[in-house]
Amino acid sequence: MFLSKIKLCHASCRRSGVWWGRMFFLNLFFCATTGFTQPVPPAASTNVNWLVEATNHLGQWIWDTNTLDKQTCRFWKSFEIPRDAKISRATLRITVDNGYTLFLDGQEIGRGSDWRTVTEYDVTRQLNPGRHVLAVEAFNDRLQAGLIFGLDIQLVDENRSTIDVVSDNTWRVVPNTQRNWASKITALPDWHRAIVVGAVGKPPWQPWPFGLSIEPPLQPLIVHFWQAGWFQLSLFSVSALALLFCVWLMTQMAAQSKAQRVLQVERARIARDIHDDLGAQLTQLLLLGEVAQREQPEDAAARTQFNQICEQARELSHALDEVVWAVNSRRDTLRDFVNYVCKYALIYLDPTPIRCRLDVEPEIPPDAFDLPVRRNLFLAVKEALNNAVKHSEAGELFLRIYRKNQKLVVVVEDNGRGFDPAQAGGERNGMTNMSQRMSEVGGECNVASQPGGGCLVEFTVPLARARRLAWFSPRPSPGEMADMNAGVNASGPADSQNG
Amino acid sequence: MKANISSAVAPAAKPPVKVVLVEDKAGVRDSWSKLINSLPGFSCVNACSSGEEALHVIPPIAPDVVLMDIFLPRMSGIECTTRLKSLLPKTQILILTAVEDDELVFMALEAGADGYLLKRTKPEDLRAAMLDVLGGGAPMTSEIARRVVESFRRASKLPKPTVHLSAREEEILILLSKGYSNKEIADQLSISAETVGSHLKHIYEKMHVRSRTEAVMRYMTTRP
Repeated sequence: MFLSKIKLCHASCRRSGVWWGRMFFLNLFFCATTGFTQPVPPAASTNVNWLVEATNHLGQWIWDTNTLDKQTCRFWKSFEIPRDAKISRATLRITVDNGYTLFLDGQEIGRGSDWRTVTEYDVTRQLNPGRHVLAVEAFNDRLQAGLIFGLDIQLVDENRSTIDVVSDNTWRVVPNTQRNWASKITALPDWHRAIVVGAVGKPPWQPWPFGLSIEPPLQPLIVHFWQAGWFQLSLFSVSALALLFCVWLMTQMAAQSKAQRVLQVERARIARDIHDDLGAQLTQLLLLGEVAQREQPEDAAARTQFNQICEQARELSHALDEVVWAVNSRRDTLRDFVNYVCKYALIYLDPTPIRCRLDVEPEIPPDAFDLPVRRNLFLAVKEALNNAVKHSEAGELFLRIYRKNQKLVVVVEDNGRGFDPAQAGGERNGMTNMSQRMSEVGGECNVASQPGGGCLVEFTVPLARARRLAWFSPRPSPGEMADMNAGVNASGPADSQNG
Repeated sequence: MKANISSAVAPAAKPPVKVVLVEDKAGVRDSWSKLINSLPGFSCVNACSSGEEALHVIPPIAPDVVLMDIFLPRMSGIECTTRLKSLLPKTQILILTAVEDDELVFMALEAGADGYLLKRTKPEDLRAAMLDVLGGGAPMTSEIARRVVESFRRASKLPKPTVHLSAREEEILILLSKGYSNKEIADQLSISAETVGSHLKHIYEKMHVRSRTEAVMRYMTTRP
């Protein structure tokens, strides 16, 4: 489609010169405005003068040796303009009984089908010193046939000399089987000479031709850069490349979203493996330790050692839970995060004198909340809780979680002794840590405190908008989710085999 | 096996609490039963390796407490809980889980479980939890409390809500979800801690009733 359009456009721009010529021709013929010579009816008194003028520089009527009805005859003639010649004006006149197509150096100059009118072409800008080729494809409808032609080249020199090329028997007739004949520089041996069939103004071409039409000077064809083949080709290639690039990008994106899904499934698998294998075996170890501890006498030293082993195993199991939570993609939601943080705070503050109060926005949706954000926010909150336990001497700590303007806000507020933020700058290393964690995920950390007035740490992280393109990065389909869940549930039989 | 210290300490007047364990892993099962037997006043009378076996074995025993693993081959611990509870409404069922998964725990509680425990729980805490359940208490964490409130609120928007929470029950749950302990709630509401416990017990029962009736309704509506 695109290609054919370019071709068309090419053809039309080549023809445009001819087209303009035709328009001009019509103008002259019908409106009889100005011109070199005006068309005059044959009966007018100026008939003879006009005819002399119009037939100046014309040769004789020539044709092929045979004249046939419906005959196409090709004439060829070459001529040379001296190297140092300077052309001031070059006009050619032609008519063919019945019609013709004229070529100069292989380029079409014009066509005509009204043989009674001689047409004049201004070819000044087409000619320059060197060898040139004239070619005429002539057509005879019926009866007499003939071509009449004259090229008048006026040179700029003191003699005002001219070069004339006229139709005569030096013209060659080119066989119709010859290809690219119009641009051939030399005549081939089998191109025979044309014959003269009559002089100007002699019967049967008398009193014709009686008209002269003047085509406007032929301009060298201006091909704008956007019409040029190379430009269109490169435009096409650029578009094609852009298209290919888009396709490539789309496949990349599709592949990436697929990779993301694979990653999620893989994370779920890792979480499951840790939970099933490590977790289960750790629990067994813990239980064995507990049993072993109980089988020792009450006061045995081994009993306390077993107890220590059990405590260690318990802590390990706890740490393992945290890893599983962080890795498990099923936990990539806001609701899970909020639950986890609350639970953590309660358990963490339970053995301390600080009472933990939760103030959580109800019905937090299970929106996506990605791992880096969730992990950093959790660690920052952990740090804040740790600070409160270490420094605040508070009796109560509020953990508030709510959403505001597409942001999640987590506030850790205690009623402890507080501090002067201006003085405590570098000393409280946790502060810079928290700020850094927040800035890593595009969030903020604000600390407000004054001596005796408690301390308030506010974390704000942006929430991803629900802008997932359904066709590009689908969330794991219900089937896949079911697979993950089934995997967790199926751990039973798998483990029983292990056990 | 060594002489059981607990049986020597506990007076023989009161029969020990009968405990049955449902756990698919043999090693874990053995350890648990040993641990339970080592607790004063508790006796592990049987240990099943699957839900199917549990449904077959447990009803004739009618134990006081069943400790149920959540991940069992074929029939899950949650389904087994539902079935056992309908056969033995008085038996207290505690779910044992390796990780604290609110969703699973919530499902288990709806299925009729009376509480849940982490597998890494210290034996002393296990004993305390069992005594608490037997004494009419119901352990509930703040997350579960929040979830319970939400689920009842959602259900109350349905055209025919089956079960409602009373105002007091909701009050207790909200305080729980804010991190208050049972004792703090009791102080705040000027009631005894036991009353708080019995309220929670009621809430558990309502959850169970609601999930059962909802299941029946789902069953009825899906049938032509």
